[in-house]
Amino acid sequence: MVETGNSVERLAKLEARKDDPEIDMAVMSTHDALSAARKGITQSIDVSRLSNYDKLYDIAKDPLGDNLAVGYTFYATSIAYRADEVTIESWADLFQDKLKGRVAFPNVSTNQGPPALYMVGKAIGDDAADLKAAIGEVAKNKDDIVTFYERSSQVAQLMQQEEILAAPIGRFAWGAYSKMGFDMAWATLKEGQTGGMNVMILTKGAKNEDLAYEFMDFWLSTEIQTKLAEALVDSPANSEVKVSDEIAENLTYGAETVESLQLLDPAVILDNRESWLSEWNAQIGQ
Amino acid sequence: MRWSGGGQWVCPRTQHKVPTHVSESDGRTGAGVARGGLRGDRFSRSRGHPAFRGFRAEGSWTLASYAGFFESELNRTVFWRTLKLGAIVTAVSAVIGYATAYSIVTLPPTARGRMIGLVVMPLMISPVARTYAWIVILGRTGFVNETIVWLGLSDTPIRFLFTETAVFIGLLQLFLPLMILSLISALENMPKDAVPAARVLGANWLQVFVKVILPLTKEGLVIGGTLVFTGSLTAYITPAILGGSKVLMLETLLYQRVTVANDFASASIIAMILMVMSFSANLLLKRLATARNKR
Repeated sequence: MVETGNSVERLAKLEARKDDPEIDMAVMSTHDALSAARKGITQSIDVSRLSNYDKLYDIAKDPLGDNLAVGYTFYATSIAYRADEVTIESWADLFQDKLKGRVAFPNVSTNQGPPALYMVGKAIGDDAADLKAAIGEVAKNKDDIVTFYERSSQVAQLMQQEEILAAPIGRFAWGAYSKMGFDMAWATLKEGQTGGMNVMILTKGAKNEDLAYEFMDFWLSTEIQTKLAEALVDSPANSEVKVSDEIAENLTYGAETVESLQLLDPAVILDNRESWLSEWNAQIGQ
Repeated sequence: MRWSGGGQWVCPRTQHKVPTHVSESDGRTGAGVARGGLRGDRFSRSRGHPAFRGFRAEGSWTLASYAGFFESELNRTVFWRTLKLGAIVTAVSAVIGYATAYSIVTLPPTARGRMIGLVVMPLMISPVARTYAWIVILGRTGFVNETIVWLGLSDTPIRFLFTETAVFIGLLQLFLPLMILSLISALENMPKDAVPAARVLGANWLQVFVKVILPLTKEGLVIGGTLVFTGSLTAYITPAILGGSKVLMLETLLYQRVTVANDFASASIIAMILMVMSFSANLLLKRLATARNKR
């Protein structure tokens, strides 16, 4: 049986069936997985039962500690921009004069939001976990920001319509931008790029544990990770995956890229999410 | 009888007989208050069916969560914006609706059928498609802005997208047909001689409208108004696409509470508020209609 839905919905379903799980394994974002772990819905994964485990990039091996999860894909988040119109070298360049009224920013509620805010904080010299400084910076410029987007497809449309010239986006959405016929660029920023990771978890009391392990191992295998990468579904967490340059262009791919990712600690996300949301709502939401 | 941890006498026999919510407030409050309390997470802590969670705090029935909802400035802004946009859309669609409906009703039958067909046509197109069309039309490089710049009304394109204006335009286009159709059927039922009679007796057009047409078609106005107002309150796609998070409405706020915060309690409060607003609007319109009748 396959359950779909976004990460939060999956988490809600797992929680509802906590005492009698009908789901053996699930995939979700790192912070939702940590939330599940804290609620006691998951159990540690015996990584010795995963023959492909050693092939994973280091950051994917044990992102939550205690082997509570194994990363199977990740993505970089940086700024996509019109190279013929603006130059962007820092996260703070999002608020330059040329971009007034021509830039979109991810909503704090999206997976791109907090990492992007974190990098804005770094750019203005205050990357405290409460993100107050960064939210303040965005709030200061909120009238010049076209929208706080909630879906990546929305940004692509605004870019296509020339409504905006720049926006922080996840690499998984990049494919659409490079085909727009504009001079689009993926920013190399002096603060670096951020991103996110998705992980697999094993539910506590899973009834088909052996099958769950078999499935996880299958998913992490070089063959399947290569196929997923070639179909542009997910960037590979398996370091042995080799893809063509053309495919790699649309992925978060290669040891160097993976090492450069400045990911927000899932515990930080989980512990601060509510306060980010209320800070955001207070300063920007109205 | 036994002494419960919460510091009150509980009769085991009654506990069996009373409904769950009562027994909860009797027997379980002690532990419930101690653990849950009215802290920041009060919404997610209260138990019971999701639809009733908004009324529940500390295991008893209360309106405190509703008061709490309106304590937040963001929630108040969103509430007033929703009410305001709903009212404006209803009022404007009534004005345009009367003009359109009256012109259609006076047409010969074939032309009338065609015009009604045109009015109905947008209703057959998915609201998603209709709303997305507005993104293109209202965009910087869209038809509206190109016309504005060409006419010299503004040097640079005006930002319409993700403003209240965009949401207003989207909602008006979405629900105007409902108002027109309600008014057409009301006007068709109006005696054919009423308007000429009033004219013969010396009434000007304004008097004809206020004293003859309006009282005779008020039913249609009440129905159309209720449909448009309720529709505007509960529309999700249009405010989500044309307004986004910068122009939150109650419905988009509700969605945000559920998907982002997993906060079904606030969501049920919003749903209740929407229902109350819809019913009140209907009652208010009916009241206005009867009051006019008596005069």
